[in-house]
Amino acid sequence: PKWATTRPKYPATRLALHHFDVAYGSQLGPLWPSVRVALLCEKKYGALINNFSHHDAMAELQLQGCKDFISDTAAAERGGEEVSQSDLQTTSDASVHSNIKCLVFPEETSYLPLLSRPDSDGLLGYYLMDAASVLPCLALDVREGHTVLDLCAAPGGKALTIMQTYDLGFLCVNDSSVSRTMRLRRVLQSYVPKAQLSDAKVHISSFDGTMWGDVERDSFDRVLVDVPCTTDRHSVTEDDNNIFRKNRVGDRRRLPQLQTALLLAGILAARPGGEIVYSTCSLSQQQNQGVVEQAAHLALEQHGIHTQIVDLKPLTQKFSNTFHFAPGLSVGEMVVPHLAANFGPIYMCKLRRLT
Amino acid sequence: TRRHLSNTPDNILHNQETGEELSVHGLLDLGFTDSQAEHIYDTFSKSTRGSTAKHALSTLSTLIVLGFNPSSVLKLVEKCPELYLVKESQLQQRIGNLRKLGLVEGSLQRVVSHHPQILTMKMKKINHRVLFLKEKCLFTTQQVTDIFRDSPAVIQEDLDQLEYKFQYVYFRMGVKQAEMVKSRLFRFTLDEVRNRHCFLERQTTIVNPKISSMLSVDQDMFVTQVAKATSEEFDVFQRLLMREWQEEDLADFGNISD
Ligand SMILES: C[S@@+](CC[C@H](N)C(=O)[O-])C[C@H]1O[C@@H](n2cnc3c(N)ncnc32)[C@H](O)[C@@H]1O
Repeated sequence: PKWATTRPKYPATRLALHHFDVAYGSQLGPLWPSVRVALLCEKKYGALINNFSHHDAMAELQLQGCKDFISDTAAAERGGEEVSQSDLQTTSDASVHSNIKCLVFPEETSYLPLLSRPDSDGLLGYYLMDAASVLPCLALDVREGHTVLDLCAAPGGKALTIMQTYDLGFLCVNDSSVSRTMRLRRVLQSYVPKAQLSDAKVHISSFDGTMWGDVERDSFDRVLVDVPCTTDRHSVTEDDNNIFRKNRVGDRRRLPQLQTALLLAGILAARPGGEIVYSTCSLSQQQNQGVVEQAAHLALEQHGIHTQIVDLKPLTQKFSNTFHFAPGLSVGEMVVPHLAANFGPIYMCKLRRLT
Repeated sequence: TRRHLSNTPDNILHNQETGEELSVHGLLDLGFTDSQAEHIYDTFSKSTRGSTAKHALSTLSTLIVLGFNPSSVLKLVEKCPELYLVKESQLQQRIGNLRKLGLVEGSLQRVVSHHPQILTMKMKKINHRVLFLKEKCLFTTQQVTDIFRDSPAVIQEDLDQLEYKFQYVYFRMGVKQAEMVKSRLFRFTLDEVRNRHCFLERQTTIVNPKISSMLSVDQDMFVTQVAKATSEEFDVFQRLLMREWQEEDLADFGNISD
């Protein structure tokens, strides 16, 4: 017979959990226990379909019972009431127009196969990621010909998602970590044909994103700022590379500051009229709403740039069958983990640069 | 207007050892009613396939003497027809053994009625389980008696499961023996205990939720009142946990074969 083991005393995952118990216990109140148990259980994946691959991964996965949560909801809506022409013009409806497909198992305890085969050109059929990570990309609402900046892009799930949409004008993918940027490059090479990765289309860089303002200002149609954060799910489950380790206290304390600087750089990089999506995979108010408010404030104070928050309710309502969204956030939207829909956490907030 | 079925040859089952017959008459003498007696005949011949009637009457009368009324006796032999096959002397020995283990009147009846199989088990096996609980799990004699009284099924539970359940509760949940007995731990399967415990543990900030509050209610009450969750969540959780444990078992297995 085997022995039930006792655990080491204070691993980083424990410290993380303790920290969250205090912070989220008060922030989420009665919702926290349900989120907590989900965070500590196996997460669900989504399979981002690679439109560049010759393999019909979509059909293969559908045979196994997977459903594209994006087109499914769009179809459900079309089946409902007629959408008038004027509605279509005023709401920026990303999901219906995009070619982004992300498959999930409808049964809450079925999981995707972890392998995707390369096609004759060596391109893989799908990319496994948290299905909720697709939402910030949908919120970004990229259109044909747009110039897009992904400021913190490694390992590249969201960049890859963005590339599944129309022919972009130009995509800049950046990540300050050189090793992670190499990984990003490898990911893109295993999913996107060479021709699509030419210098004219994609630019991969390794700058400190907070300094982007020194590189290129007022130019991008869309900017994604997917910042480093406390990566809540990772922090309570993996001791490796855990930001709650004793020797990383400084890193963790500086996060909101770094996040604010990155978002501010993203705002500066966007053209007037351009749109910025800020996202994290943390539940922390301080790293989410707090950062957005602070960055918007600094943009105005230091640079005279006016921004406006874009309501993402239409988007989240569409996907409320697939994800659990936190109720009543004042700024932005958040996917909270739930046992029956164990995605996230993902926070996202969209800003429009007015001036 | 008594019907004397004993006149019908088919209904006479001869006790070869003592010459006693399992006759309706004998059954009526023990206090069974006509219809009960008939019922006993039916089930007896079906369940033992008529092979032997040797001990049937002595079993029935021993149970009556033990203090069960005829209708309870009927339930016992229906639940455990193997009782018919036990020799009278063995039965007496086993009952004596249980008394020695501290199961005195009241408790003894309780155990037998919940778990009549206990009278079909070899004394050695029962005493072995007693030793296990005392020596491996360090329960006191009185605690072992309490465990048998409250959860007689513990006597037949798979030993590995039992040992692991004890270890899980002792080491992982930090519960001491007295508390285990009080919470009637042994009425629950390892999975039930683990599922409830892990759910609370992952859900709440309390490091080791009290075992008594966990086990004192049925599953619905546990989910809605104690865990304040939905049955959907607990369902999914149980399935996920099962898989986690399976994967862990596989990993253990891998280590052994290394
Ligand atoms: C949440 S991850 C990005 C995940 C990525 N968007 C995806 O979908 O695969 C955050 C990234 O920010 C990068 N990072 C950290 N500090 C940065 C900085 N100052 N400038 C740019 N990137 C930074 C980290 O190396 C890390 O890869």
